[in-house]
Amino acid sequence: MILVLNLIFVLLAIFMSAYLARHYIFTLTALYRQNEQTHHAPHDTTNQPAVSVLIPARNEEKVIGRILQRMTELTYPKEKLEVIVTDDASTDQTSRIAEEFAKKHEYIKVVHRSLEEGGKGKPAALNHGFKYVKGEIVYCFDADYYPQRDILEKLTVCFKDPKVGAVQGRVTVLNEPDTLVTRLVALERTGGYRVDQFARDDLGLIPQFGGTVGGFRRSLIESLGGWDVDMFAEDTDLTFKVYFAGYKIRYVNDAECYEEAVEDWQSYWRQRSRWAKGHMQCAFRHLWPLLKSKNLRLREKIDGFLLLNVYFVPILVGLAWILGATLFLIYPPSWIKILWVFVPLSIYSSVGNFAPFFEVGIGAYLDGRERIYWLIPLLALTFVFNMLICTKALMDLCVSKITGKKRHGWTKTLHNGRGNCYISNYNKFE
Amino acid sequence: MFLLAKSGQGFRYPKVRPSYLHVSAGICVAAIMLFIYFPLYPILNESALISVTIFNFLFIFLLFPLEGPLFRKVYLLVAGNIVGLAWHFIKSSFGATSVFYLGADTLKIITVIIGPIIDLVWIVSVWSLGLSMLASTKRRNEGDGGRKN
Repeated sequence: MILVLNLIFVLLAIFMSAYLARHYIFTLTALYRQNEQTHHAPHDTTNQPAVSVLIPARNEEKVIGRILQRMTELTYPKEKLEVIVTDDASTDQTSRIAEEFAKKHEYIKVVHRSLEEGGKGKPAALNHGFKYVKGEIVYCFDADYYPQRDILEKLTVCFKDPKVGAVQGRVTVLNEPDTLVTRLVALERTGGYRVDQFARDDLGLIPQFGGTVGGFRRSLIESLGGWDVDMFAEDTDLTFKVYFAGYKIRYVNDAECYEEAVEDWQSYWRQRSRWAKGHMQCAFRHLWPLLKSKNLRLREKIDGFLLLNVYFVPILVGLAWILGATLFLIYPPSWIKILWVFVPLSIYSSVGNFAPFFEVGIGAYLDGRERIYWLIPLLALTFVFNMLICTKALMDLCVSKITGKKRHGWTKTLHNGRGNCYISNYNKFE
Repeated sequence: MFLLAKSGQGFRYPKVRPSYLHVSAGICVAAIMLFIYFPLYPILNESALISVTIFNFLFIFLLFPLEGPLFRKVYLLVAGNIVGLAWHFIKSSFGATSVFYLGADTLKIITVIIGPIIDLVWIVSVWSLGLSMLASTKRRNEGDGGRKN
């Protein structure tokens, strides 16, 4: 029995050290290989296909005006641009605000979903909006986002490569100074995008499509059958479908877009819980096809495997912690002291989609930050939180599997529009 | 804070050129310090040696290659080691004192359960502090000290 427990502990330590090695490689890559991204080219005005921007919105009256105003300020030629707002049976002023923009700008359209057909979640709203799309490339933006003026040029340039099926831009937190939670989320985003996504793109692995601030070839989405309404993380689901279809995803670090981050722990819990469930769903669905796929190289399979399992890591770290402590107390062999080191190191490694502390720190350094490093030790708080979130998410997923209940609704984060106060400051710099 | 405004103008970031000379110097300093630690083995147990080694590894291979004067990096590395050792001695002293009140078994359980986190507190904090100081130096060298974030 003791032998079996020891073996499990060793396996967990190996699993965790694989994630550590992965993040260490990502960090070094982001630091020293950053000029080698091939899509770092000047804007190509001769290659500007017709693009469509999908904005699904349900009760977003506080923020919808902001993103639509931004759409009018984009530098992409307006004759090649189409913005489609899917008003998903909103009961507030979202519809009216969007219609006002549509009256003034002919490239903005609003499609409505009735109370009966609406409210079935973001993927359903995206599928509905997609029916009206005419552009060759389809981008998605959440209603609370605020992109750069030239973001579409920066993202679209990647589609010159026929193998590129989708592209992802960088998400940065708009309301960072508001609360401790927004600051910690900003740190996570820094590690996740500036280092993690960047390195995956640079190393030819699997950059993840994040569901927003990104786009697809319309033909590809059509062939994949649109967004899966049963998935909690339709973006991760699409990421793997794109790779299975023989295409790849590029990440463009320079294509930046602001988001309003969650401001309190309760909202953080809800958001991460949804992500965790979605990721686990994708892991169950795609692990086997990933291993069998002939369109993926070995390193992509390894990265895909680690990416799919990333939300199981907090649970396994917790398990390793309990198991290691028990073994240490009842049967303390000398080698367990060495393996015990992997537990604390893994705490900061790959928790949820978060990066270890050194990855976050280097990301902040590359962004030219000065003070935010002081908050890095507090990432331990998010670890504890994520350990609980992921454990509960796994239990919920098992229960819904047994009961047969599927996802059919918005599990969205409420946006209060407080990020608007930062927009005027930002515009001064632009 | 305003990353868009800064990086949105162009497609290229300034390249970070790793300073291999600094890394080599860092390895030498860390090796010398380890030679000093080994004779102290009974006082410095495996836990202390492992946590100091992890700190040195992360510090040398991630911070020494960055822009900044070598003297400052060596100073931060040595200071970090001193903090780590001090942390270990405080922990050991606390343990020795607590045995009297809690009993050896209770203390052992507490140490095993929270030990991993406790050791990492100083590693992360001192590493972040070192990075913060190097980032400040970099900003000053660039002559752009206005953006405090």
